[in-house]
Amino acid sequence: MPARRHLPHYLMVAPFVILFAVFFLYPIGSGLFYSFHDWNAVKPATFVGFDNYARILSSRDFERAMWNLGTYIIITVPLGILVAFGLALLVDSFTGAWGAFFRGAYFLPVVLPAFLAATIWRWIYTPNFGLLNMILGWFGIESINFLNDTSTMLYSLIAVDIWISAGFNMVIILAGLKNIPSELYEAARLDGANKLQQVVYVTIPMLGPVLFFVITYGLISAMQVFDKPWLLTGSSFTSYGGRRNALLFPVMDMMGRAFGAVKFGEAAAYGFLLTIAIVFVTALMFLVRNLRAPR
Amino acid sequence: MKTSTRLQSGVAALALIAAGVATPALAQDVTLEYWVYSDFAQGDALALQQEFISEFIAEHPGVTINITGKGDDDLTAGQVAGAASGTLPDVFMNAAGVGAQLVSVGALSNLYDQWMAMPEEYRAQFDEDALNICMPNPGELYCLPYTGFGSLLFRNLTVLEKAGIDTTTPPATWDEWLDQMKTIKEAGFYGIPDQTLVFNSIAATYAMAGDESNWGIDWETRTTKIDPEVMTKVLQMFVDMVPVNSGTSRNDQATKDLFISNQLAYHAIGPWVDPTYRQAAENGLDYDYVLLPSVREGDHGGIKSYEIIGVAPGDNQEIAFEFAAFITEKQQMVRWAKLLSRYNANAAAMADPEVADLPLIARSVESVKYALQTHPPYFVDTVPNCYLSTIIDFASATADGEYTPEEGAKEMIDELNYCLEG
Amino acid sequence: MSVAEIAPALPRRRKVRVWTVLRWMLAFFIALIAILPVWWMVNVVFSNPGEPVSINPRLYPTSFQDGIDKIYMIFTETDYLHAYLISLLYALFTIAGVLLFGSMAAFEFALFDFPARRILFAIIMLSLMVPAAVTIIPTYLLTAQLGWLNTMQGLVVPGLASAFGFFLLVQFMRSIPRDMIEAARLDGASHFQIYWHVVLPLSRNALITLAILTFMQTWGNYMWPLIVAPSPHMYTVGQVVGLFNSPYSHQTVDVVMTANLLAAVPPLIFFLIFQRRIVEGIAMSGTKG
Repeated sequence: MPARRHLPHYLMVAPFVILFAVFFLYPIGSGLFYSFHDWNAVKPATFVGFDNYARILSSRDFERAMWNLGTYIIITVPLGILVAFGLALLVDSFTGAWGAFFRGAYFLPVVLPAFLAATIWRWIYTPNFGLLNMILGWFGIESINFLNDTSTMLYSLIAVDIWISAGFNMVIILAGLKNIPSELYEAARLDGANKLQQVVYVTIPMLGPVLFFVITYGLISAMQVFDKPWLLTGSSFTSYGGRRNALLFPVMDMMGRAFGAVKFGEAAAYGFLLTIAIVFVTALMFLVRNLRAPR
Repeated sequence: MKTSTRLQSGVAALALIAAGVATPALAQDVTLEYWVYSDFAQGDALALQQEFISEFIAEHPGVTINITGKGDDDLTAGQVAGAASGTLPDVFMNAAGVGAQLVSVGALSNLYDQWMAMPEEYRAQFDEDALNICMPNPGELYCLPYTGFGSLLFRNLTVLEKAGIDTTTPPATWDEWLDQMKTIKEAGFYGIPDQTLVFNSIAATYAMAGDESNWGIDWETRTTKIDPEVMTKVLQMFVDMVPVNSGTSRNDQATKDLFISNQLAYHAIGPWVDPTYRQAAENGLDYDYVLLPSVREGDHGGIKSYEIIGVAPGDNQEIAFEFAAFITEKQQMVRWAKLLSRYNANAAAMADPEVADLPLIARSVESVKYALQTHPPYFVDTVPNCYLSTIIDFASATADGEYTPEEGAKEMIDELNYCLEG
Repeated sequence: MSVAEIAPALPRRRKVRVWTVLRWMLAFFIALIAILPVWWMVNVVFSNPGEPVSINPRLYPTSFQDGIDKIYMIFTETDYLHAYLISLLYALFTIAGVLLFGSMAAFEFALFDFPARRILFAIIMLSLMVPAAVTIIPTYLLTAQLGWLNTMQGLVVPGLASAFGFFLLVQFMRSIPRDMIEAARLDGASHFQIYWHVVLPLSRNALITLAILTFMQTWGNYMWPLIVAPSPHMYTVGQVVGLFNSPYSHQTVDVVMTANLLAAVPPLIFFLIFQRRIVEGIAMSGTKG
C-alpha cells in the first residue's frame, strides 16, 4: 500500500499545505480570475478578456518599469550577496564581544523602519548641502543631485538597498557558516590551504544550499522591490516613480493602479506579467543548480 | 454686517439643534466610525474633536462615535478596502483629489437632498468655491468641504535685510520678485527651492501666470486645459530661477533647514511648515508669510486644496450625515480655526472676528481667493499618474536646458493629452 | 590567528599582522557606515527643537531633556505602548506558526521523497513570485468573510504558510546527513520522533535565524495590518508611526523621527538576544552524538 507508506509525509506537510492553499493559492487563483476582468473590488466584475494584459503591455510605464527592474537586479543582487557574504566572513573572523558588536552594528539598518531609513538617505543625498555632497566636495567634485538626476537615481537606490539588506542576508549566511564543521577547516589547513583557498574550497561548497537560498530569495524579492524607491522618491498612490520615472518599478506601478486608480483587475494582470518574468528567472536559477549539483 | 452674520449663524445653530431634536428617537444604539487625518487625532486637535463628539452625543443619545486617525494614503487604502468588504467608516475625511476614486467604489453617498433640506442659513456658511468641488453635476453632492489650505510665501526677513531688500512690502510682481532673488543670490544666499521637483510647486508657479480657464483637465474631450502660451511663460520662470534656487525641493527637510539657518530667502509652501518655523523663531529666526506674486500686479499665484468629509451609504447614513453637518458647522469650525490657526471651508467661521484676526488664517483666506485648485475638476475621473509625472518631467527638463520653454510647453501638452487618452 | 602564533617565520607573521590591522580597520569603517546615519537620527531626537537637522550630520546630542520630553509625549499622546503589545503578539504568534508549520513541511521536502513532492514544491515557490499587490485584496476579502477583521487571528493566520520560511528551512535541512536519519530509524524512532528529536535540534541555527528574520518582516509589515486591522485598538507600531509620517503633517521633524526610532528598539533587542543563541558546529555535534 504505497499511499499508506506515504501517509506520515502527507500528515507532516498537511498543516502548511492547507494554510497555504487557503491563504495563498485561493487568493492567487482569485487574482488570476480578476486579471481578466474590469474590477474595482466593489462593483461586480465584468469580463474583458486579455484587455488588461494588452493595456499594460502597450503602456510606456510598464516598459520603463521593466527596464528599470532589469538594470536594478543585474547590479543589486550580485553586489548585495557579495557584500553580505563579505560581511559574514568578516564578522565570523572576530570572536567574543567584538564579534557581537560588529554583528549588531551591521544588522542595525535592518531593524530601522523603512521610512526612517529613506528619510536619512534623502538627507545624505541632498544636493549642495547633504553629507555625501559635502564629502565629495572635499575632493573637488561638484554637487550631484542623487535623487533627481536620472543618471544617478538608480545607483542611489542600489546603495540604500545594499545598506539596508546586507545585514539581513549576512545573518542567514552567518547561520550557514556556523554549521560548517571546524574539522573541515583544520583538514584544509593541514593540506596547506591559505585563507582564500579555505573560503573557495571549504566555505563556498559547504554553504552551497544557503547561498542558493540567499541568491534565489534575493532575486525574487528584488524583482518585487517597492518600499525603498517609493519612499526615496516621496511617492504616493497618485504620483510615483520619481523624475522621468527613473525609479518606477513594477510593484509601484501595480500599487498605484490598485489603490490610486482603483483598478484591481488591471493591477492583478500587471502582477501576473511580473510573476511570469520572476518564474522565468527563478526557473533558470534552479536549472543551473541542478546541472551543477544533481541531487 | 458682522452682527447680522453672527445672528444668521446663531439661527442656523438653533435650526440644527431643532433638526436634531425633530429626528425621531433612535430605536437602537448606533456606533459611528469617524476617520480623520492623523493630525486631527493627535494632541490638542484630538481633544477638540472629542469635545465636538461629546456635544453631538449629548444631543443624540444612543450614539457612540469612534474617532480614528490615519495617514494620507492610508485613508484611501482603508476606505477602498472597507468599501470592498462592506466595512466602510460611516463618516470620513479624505482629499478632494481622490474623490473620483471614492465615488467609483461607492464609498460616498450623494448628500444632495439632505443638503438641500438643511436650512438656508447653514448652507450659506460654506465657501462657494469649496462647495463646488463636491458637486460635479447638478443634483450631486458627494462631500462637505472641511479644512484646506492656500499657498503661502514664507520670507526669511534676516536674509532679505542682509541682501538689502526692503521688506515692508512683498514683491508685487514676478519681475520684481525675480530681481529680488537675483540680488539675494549675489549677496550669497539662495532665493528659493527648486520649484520644478514637486507637482504642487509647479502648479503654484503656473498660477502666477495662468488662471482657472487654462488649468486642469477637460474630461469630456480627455484633454488638458493647460495653455501652451501660459506654460511657456511658466517654464521660462523655471529657467530664470535656476541660478537662484537651492536645488532642494520645497518638501525637503534641507529646504526647511536652509530657511531656519538663514541661507534661504523664500519658501513657497502651505501653512504646515509654520510650526517648524515658529519653533525656530524662538532661536532667532525672523520670518513672515505673504502671498505669491503674479505676472500681473494685484493678482497672486499659488494653489489651494481642500480636505472633505464624506458620508458612507448604509443604515447609519442619516445620523452620519447629521454628524458631518454638525462638525462642519460654523461653531465647530470657529473653535477648530482658533485652536490650530488652520484655514477651513466654512466662510462664516473664517469671517468670525476672533478667527479673522489670526495672522495665518487671514493670509490663507486671502491666498485662496487667488489660488488655483490643484487638480480640477474633482469627482469626475482619476487623474492618472502619468499626468502628474509628465508635468514634473517637462518642467525639470526645461529648467535643465533640454528644451526651450516653447518646445517644452508644446511637448508637455502633447504628452499630457496622450496620457489622458490611454 | 593560531597559524600565526605557531608559524616561526618572521615575514609570515608580519603579513598576518598587516592583514589583522586591515581587518579591524575595515570592520570599524563598515560599522561606521552602518551606525552613523542611525546615530544622527538619535541626535535629532535628543536636540533642541527648531534647529536645522539635515544639512550637517548631528554628531552629538544637544539636549537630553528634549529627547525625553518627546518620547514621553509620544508614549502618552498616542497608543504607542499598546501598539508595542499588538506588534509583539503579532510577531510572536507568527514566528511560532511559521517555525512549526514551516519546519514540519520543510523536513519532508528536504529529506524525503513522496508522490507530488516536486510539483508541490514548485507551487509553494510560485507563491513567493506572485506580488502581494495581486493577492492582498482577495486575501483581505477572504479574511473579512471569516469575520477576522480587527482581530489577532486576522493579522496572523494568513501569513503563517510562509514560503520564505519554508524555503529557508528546506535549504538548511538539505545539508543534514541522511545517515543520521537512517540511524535514528534503525534505533526505532518514529517519523515524528525523527523530526522532533533529530532534525529540529540539528536545525537550531536555521530556526533561530528564521525567527529573527520573521520578527523583522512581521514588525515591518505595513500594508496588511493597515487594511485588515483598521481599528485603533489593533494598531501595530507601524501604523502608529505612519500617523506621524504624512507629508503634510504639521509635526516637526524631530517628533516624527522620535516616533520612527522608537519602532526600531524592540526588533534590535530581539536580534541581540536571539543572535547569541546561534551556536557553532551543530551538524558536527550531531554526527558525534
